[in-house]
Amino acid sequence: MSDTQAPAGGAVDPQLLEILVCPVTKGPLRYDRARGELISDRARLAFPIRDGIPIMLPDEARPLED
Amino acid sequence: MSATNPLIFDRRLHRLRRDRAAATVAQVAPVLEAAAERLLDRLDDITHRFHRALEIGGRGVVAPMLRARGVGFVASMDLSPRMAALNGGPALAGDEEWLPFAPESFDLVVANLSLHWVNDLPGALVQIRRALKPDGLFLAALPGLGTLQPLRESLAAAEAEARGGISPRVSPFPELRDLAGLLQRAGFALPVADAEDIPLAYATPLGLVRDLRAAGETNAVLARDPRTPPRAMLPQALSALAGADETIPMPLRLLVMTGWAPHESQSKPARPGSANARLADALGAEERSAGEKAGH
Repeated sequence: MSDTQAPAGGAVDPQLLEILVCPVTKGPLRYDRARGELISDRARLAFPIRDGIPIMLPDEARPLED
Repeated sequence: MSATNPLIFDRRLHRLRRDRAAATVAQVAPVLEAAAERLLDRLDDITHRFHRALEIGGRGVVAPMLRARGVGFVASMDLSPRMAALNGGPALAGDEEWLPFAPESFDLVVANLSLHWVNDLPGALVQIRRALKPDGLFLAALPGLGTLQPLRESLAAAEAEARGGISPRVSPFPELRDLAGLLQRAGFALPVADAEDIPLAYATPLGLVRDLRAAGETNAVLARDPRTPPRAMLPQALSALAGADETIPMPLRLLVMTGWAPHESQSKPARPGSANARLADALGAEERSAGEKAGH
């Protein structure tokens, strides 16, 4: 596989992805592979993934524009 | 989590301290390992097998020890992503006060020397309990009151002399008697809290300062005095520490908390009035009604 197909932000352990929820709402997260972000639609926040490590800190998350 | 909780620690500053300490924390691995071994010893007394663990703030020490004990899936969480990355397995940056896990994700949660920087400990414990499956185990070690006490006293004395007042320079630590109650309030079954002392001694006062910095444990108390301390203060405090002895004793009082996520198989007190034998019969005593006082 070529490098371009690796998810942005690095690959996250699939077992970890399965149990992660939004730290603010405890609701589900959507994995945006292209941007390397975990998105909480309810909290309107995108949590970044850096070097395969999800950064699940509310004050590091990107607020979603409408 | 409520806005009425007093904020004690500057979490952002503590995260930066941990980020910076990720490069140096190996220096203090012996201390972290000593605490982790005492903590994980508790697992050896339990016949239960654990398969899915979360370890919080393990700084590269706890996750390998859990894997060596046969736990298949060990996720590591730290406020600092760099510190989390030291654990050699699935890792995430997360905050104990904003736990990002679905209910019943783990059967074991271990926190080694990390929960003492949490502002809302009762809230964090409730979230940890919810992340556990029924009959899952929570194990934590915290530095308790008495830890770094000689440092606290010598800094206070030096600051009082230089400024005529003191400010918090060493974190407040919990007392043993608070912890079992906290576990119970958070809904843990069979809560136990006990204490062990790890005797540490330093050859020089600067060695202690270097270790605290290497571990990312330097002052992040919100009420800390933001002014640069008088130049003479730290040397004076440290020289007072050194005293006449060759080494400087610096106790680490380890408070260990254990609690289980409730499950019907666990022993619990029977409902009042549910007995099917009389206590008086078992004791061979005469039963008296509650209104009647025993004669003297």
